[in-house]
Amino acid sequence: MSTSSPVKTTAVSAEGVWKAYGTGEAQVVALRDVSVQFASGAFTAIMGPSGSGKSTLMHCLAGLDTTDRGTVHIGGTPLTGLNDKALTKLRRDKIGFIFQQFNLLPTLTAEENITLPAAIAGAKADPDWIKKIIHTLDLTDRLSHKPTELSGGQQQRVACARALATRPDVVFADEPTGNLDTRSGAEVLRFLRTSVDDFGQTIVMVTHDPGAAAYADRVVFLADGQIVEDMADPTADKVIDKMKHFEELVAAAQGEIA
Amino acid sequence: MPLANPPAPQITRTRSAVTASNVWRAYGSGEAQVVALRDVSVQFASGAFTAIMGPSGSGKSTLMHCLAGLDTTDRGSVLIGDTEISGLNDKDLTKLRRDKIGFIFQQFNLLPTLTAEENILLPASIAGAKPDPDWVARIIATLDLSERLTHKPTELSGGQQQRVACARALATRPEVVFADEPTGNLDTRSSGEVLRFLRRSVDDFGQTIVMVTHDPSAAAHADRVVFLADGQIVEDLHRPTADSVIDTMRGFENRVPLAGEAR
Amino acid sequence: MLRATLKGMAARKARLILTSLAVVLGSAFIAAALVLTASIRATVDDLSGDSYTGSDVLVQPVEPENRGDRLVRDGVSAQTLDAIEASGDVAEVSTTVTWMINAIGDDGKIVGALAPTMAVNWGDESVERELRDGRAPETDGEVAVSAQFVTDSGLGLGDTVNAYSLATDETGYEIVGVYGYSGGRNSLSGATELAFTTTEAQRLVFGGEDVYTAVAATAVDGVSATELLASLEPAIGAESEALTRQAYVDDLNAENAEVTNVIGYFLLGFGLIAVFVSVFLIANTFSIVIAGRLKEIAMMRAIGASRGQIIRSVLAEASLLGAVASVVGAGIGVAAGAGLTSIVANNLLDTAGTSLAIPWTAPLAALAVGIGVTVLSALVPAVRASKIPPVEAMREAAKADKPIVAVTVTGLIITLVGATGIVLGLNEVFEADRTNLLAAAVGAGVVFVGVALLTAWLSKPLVALLGSVWAWSFAGRLGRLNASRNPRRTAVTAAALMIGVTLVTATATLLTSVKESLAERFETSIQAELFITGPVTSSVPATFDPALMDDIRDADGVAAAVELYYDLAQVDGTEQYVNATSDLQGGLELFGGEVADGSLDGLGEAETAVNESAAEQLGVGIGDTVSATFSRGTEAHEFTVVALLADNEDTDGWYVDPSYAGEFYTPKPTTALVDVADGADVDAVTASVEDILADEPAVSVQNHEEYLAQVTVFFDYAIIAIQLLLALAMIVAVIGVINTLVLSVLERTRELGMLRAIGMTRGQTTRMVTVESVTIALFGALLGIGTGLLLGWAVQQALVSKGVESFAVPTALIAAYFGAAVLVGLVAAIAPAVRASKVNILGAISYQ
Repeated sequence: MSTSSPVKTTAVSAEGVWKAYGTGEAQVVALRDVSVQFASGAFTAIMGPSGSGKSTLMHCLAGLDTTDRGTVHIGGTPLTGLNDKALTKLRRDKIGFIFQQFNLLPTLTAEENITLPAAIAGAKADPDWIKKIIHTLDLTDRLSHKPTELSGGQQQRVACARALATRPDVVFADEPTGNLDTRSGAEVLRFLRTSVDDFGQTIVMVTHDPGAAAYADRVVFLADGQIVEDMADPTADKVIDKMKHFEELVAAAQGEIA
Repeated sequence: MPLANPPAPQITRTRSAVTASNVWRAYGSGEAQVVALRDVSVQFASGAFTAIMGPSGSGKSTLMHCLAGLDTTDRGSVLIGDTEISGLNDKDLTKLRRDKIGFIFQQFNLLPTLTAEENILLPASIAGAKPDPDWVARIIATLDLSERLTHKPTELSGGQQQRVACARALATRPEVVFADEPTGNLDTRSSGEVLRFLRRSVDDFGQTIVMVTHDPSAAAHADRVVFLADGQIVEDLHRPTADSVIDTMRGFENRVPLAGEAR
Repeated sequence: MLRATLKGMAARKARLILTSLAVVLGSAFIAAALVLTASIRATVDDLSGDSYTGSDVLVQPVEPENRGDRLVRDGVSAQTLDAIEASGDVAEVSTTVTWMINAIGDDGKIVGALAPTMAVNWGDESVERELRDGRAPETDGEVAVSAQFVTDSGLGLGDTVNAYSLATDETGYEIVGVYGYSGGRNSLSGATELAFTTTEAQRLVFGGEDVYTAVAATAVDGVSATELLASLEPAIGAESEALTRQAYVDDLNAENAEVTNVIGYFLLGFGLIAVFVSVFLIANTFSIVIAGRLKEIAMMRAIGASRGQIIRSVLAEASLLGAVASVVGAGIGVAAGAGLTSIVANNLLDTAGTSLAIPWTAPLAALAVGIGVTVLSALVPAVRASKIPPVEAMREAAKADKPIVAVTVTGLIITLVGATGIVLGLNEVFEADRTNLLAAAVGAGVVFVGVALLTAWLSKPLVALLGSVWAWSFAGRLGRLNASRNPRRTAVTAAALMIGVTLVTATATLLTSVKESLAERFETSIQAELFITGPVTSSVPATFDPALMDDIRDADGVAAAVELYYDLAQVDGTEQYVNATSDLQGGLELFGGEVADGSLDGLGEAETAVNESAAEQLGVGIGDTVSATFSRGTEAHEFTVVALLADNEDTDGWYVDPSYAGEFYTPKPTTALVDVADGADVDAVTASVEDILADEPAVSVQNHEEYLAQVTVFFDYAIIAIQLLLALAMIVAVIGVINTLVLSVLERTRELGMLRAIGMTRGQTTRMVTVESVTIALFGALLGIGTGLLLGWAVQQALVSKGVESFAVPTALIAAYFGAAVLVGLVAAIAPAVRASKVNILGAISYQ
């Protein structure tokens, strides 16, 4: 897709998802009956305090983790019931990943890292598309460098290029700017925005940074494993206010003094 | 706001538990050099609970590492009590950390091979000394860990593990306790327990606590919040509330180009 | 971040180097073994190839079908020699008369301990001799000696040397010449030689008969070797056979090949043991390497790499590592093999030149083994890595210990299977000897694997026990806890050590038990205090004059003395041990034997006594007759069985009157037992008997201990040799310990950082790691010693029927191994401990 269609289809969806870890005393229920849909061609942020389950939700949506109850669909394909081989193929062909760190193989150059998913599939990536991404990300001068020769921001940009190289149905980004300074972070976020606006990509991003969330079209708030708020057209201010509201609730719960 | 009214500011000078003077710290070289701390000077009063906050890359973790003797400074000095730590060799620094400083990390505080009780007594065991049994019993009771002493870390929840870490940090009655995002991995309820305990240890036991956090509601438990950005102290907030913390942080957000401007 | 990554890569290099070292060692050993074997064979073949140069046809006696190899053959008859000389196709003829003799050096002792002393006729042309001093012998009283003989005996030109053979009494000869061999050699493979006239040689070797050991003929020009062979064959007597020189050399080479092959398999066996041990090491290392790359692997899986791709990439790395290491190993091995050949050739074989043979199998085997082992060992870790779900690896969750029930049960089953194999093999349940050996050997290997799996379960309690030694130090306590926290890994590491220790302990236990059994038997059954006997390794069996027995019996303090002759004779068509003694009754008493049936009142000339089993074997009883032909006998003799003896290790065999001794291979007695009277001084009696035997240089008087020591000295050498050969396996195992520790330290970087942060000093950290290392090493040694004792006991029990009735523990060796284990632990800990103490606290505790 190179232009967003007026009719929004669902790229990713979760229905009645439950997920818990550990046993006995140490058991944690990370997701409680979570149902949410993410439209294609949109940029959605998932926010929430630590322990809210936002990372877990993303792992389940991306097929990296199994749900205890409920289903997840990616572009109409249900993930539950797929065996490892099928899941792997799905991740390889239809999903792009940008992690907070450890995105790149230190033994490969930037260019080789970008074409890595294609290499794994034994296929050739679309050269025009790749050139376009590289140009947009301003990485043309860095293609022959190894990750250790790149700054944190440049590494994340390479990771972005890699994620988009296969034109996936959806890109999952887990705190992509978490390790970056403000300037590099802004560059990455700008690119993600561009890929949605100009290339019609679908992006689901987990973040705790209100400034990052402001780049999205919509913010879904999680707390204690449940969706507590769904905000359209976020700005940093609105997000911060919402977070404040949560903090007050939290502080009230924590504080023993009125 | 559910916080006690803090005592009126003392006019008499309170002793400084930790003092940093003109501290500089940089990493890497050439293209990749990062200046983490630029000419930072700050004092942390004894018997007070101070939070250090700031965005990623602000240098808050680096500052704490330098204050705690875990990292060396390029320039400037650091005092723990009256002891200048900048020139100490590894052996003396280690002894200092063992006897005068308590640590609570975000995770991996405990040795999985030891029980909760053994973990609490770990610094003392390393020193080959015995801690004050009454004091230790008191901490354990306050942290509600009496039932858990014989459990190994894998048998404890995240919150319980952090409480054990707190107990360990205080077991030697250190001059200062450094806590690095102690509630970062915990859910709301457990966070509350840990923060309440830290507050009590300051109010009832007179401990000094310096806590790095990015969580406004955690910072609200402190007496004072020091804000770092780009390696410098940019704000000093007394008697913080979650609101005032968030407002202050919002002010920072306004200093960098935001999404709204780019669109 | 940058620093952590770089350090990770550098660290991995160190670990990979350690692993590749193990592969290098294993493949080098195998390549060296193959090269050494082939080269020795080539060198020996070269020497054989020099035999009888210039001759075309050889005539030698037909090998009798029903005689053992060790007996002297009949010679080529004089008539045959005449016929050959008379042939028109023959240009030249030479004769060879040779066999082993004993010569006495200037110290009054028999010359040559390990290498034989040969008598030969000067006219022999089987090798080229070069006179260096003096001249050839011309009369029967003269002799020329090899240069080696001069060195070994201390006698030289002009001296008189006394020599004797089985057929002759001691005679003096004047040394008139000294010679060497082609290429400046002083000896033929270390043996010493005396060259006599042909008639004197015939007296020594054949008792004076006019026969020859071999006759060599050279053809006239124009006649080929085969043509000469064809023309000579009809002329040759029935007692001889002719063959071309080439055929002769080929036969020689084939005989040599048999010996070198055995040596080769032996060496290869030890090489394979080392390789087996390295499997543990490599598997561990790859677990480590993969553990360190968990995040990378998880990321790859997340972005779509399949399980198969992950496995293949790990195995590809393993193959590359294996290939590089085994190429290096092959190179080193070939060089080592060449060097060893040179050493062996020059020192043991005394050859002029060494032939280096590098069979293509050597580098190939090294490569195949190296790559094969590396890939196979990496297989399990690779598969396990591919099974990790991507999310698990990205989280920092503390992994709960996987239950080891499955592994323990599997280990138990496997151990039992292996033990069964050993039991079956040892009790010779199978028909073929080879199958039995295979069953026992494979069974032992399987037992190792089984115990290795069991060690995971055993490690917790045992390691805790071992570690309690260090409980006084807190750092030590932490170290002990660390040693037992990953039972699998501790088990695999300890198991590698265990293998070598088990083998040595088992061998030592068995041999010590054999020694002990012998000693006990001596103490309980054998009444005699003194033995008159000669060294086991002398060329000519040590004998003494039977006439001296009367003097010995008359000596003060001697209660009884019995002499023994022995022979390997043909009795009723089968090979049987035959003894002769002038006092059978007395001999039985001294040996603790007894008569089971019949009576021994003086064994008559046509009478014989025999033990029950042998009688049963031939189907004879009291009153039956057997027909016996002795080694030198030309006709059979009839004997009637008059008594049956109880089966007894020391007295089994057939007994006849000593008058037949002249027909024995050794016509004089080889052993005598002396019973010292109660109350007499053993030392005094020893001295008197020695005086009586003063003129008998071949034998000496020994008490129990001395006799036992002489018989068992071989065992002591065997234990040392096995330890040396297992040294390689031990080195690999030690590398394994180092590897495991390095891994543990790296995995626990966060913990170490935390400990350092809260106040643990560098010294305490070092101590912690060292204790962990020593504990693991001791654990491995403990397991090895335990398993070794069990194995040794099992073999001993299987051999009870063969006379190994006592079980003895080699305590000194075991103590030494415990000590060595401590040393290994200390040494292996050095690098990891230093690394641990230097851990960058910040890098370790920063949340990232």
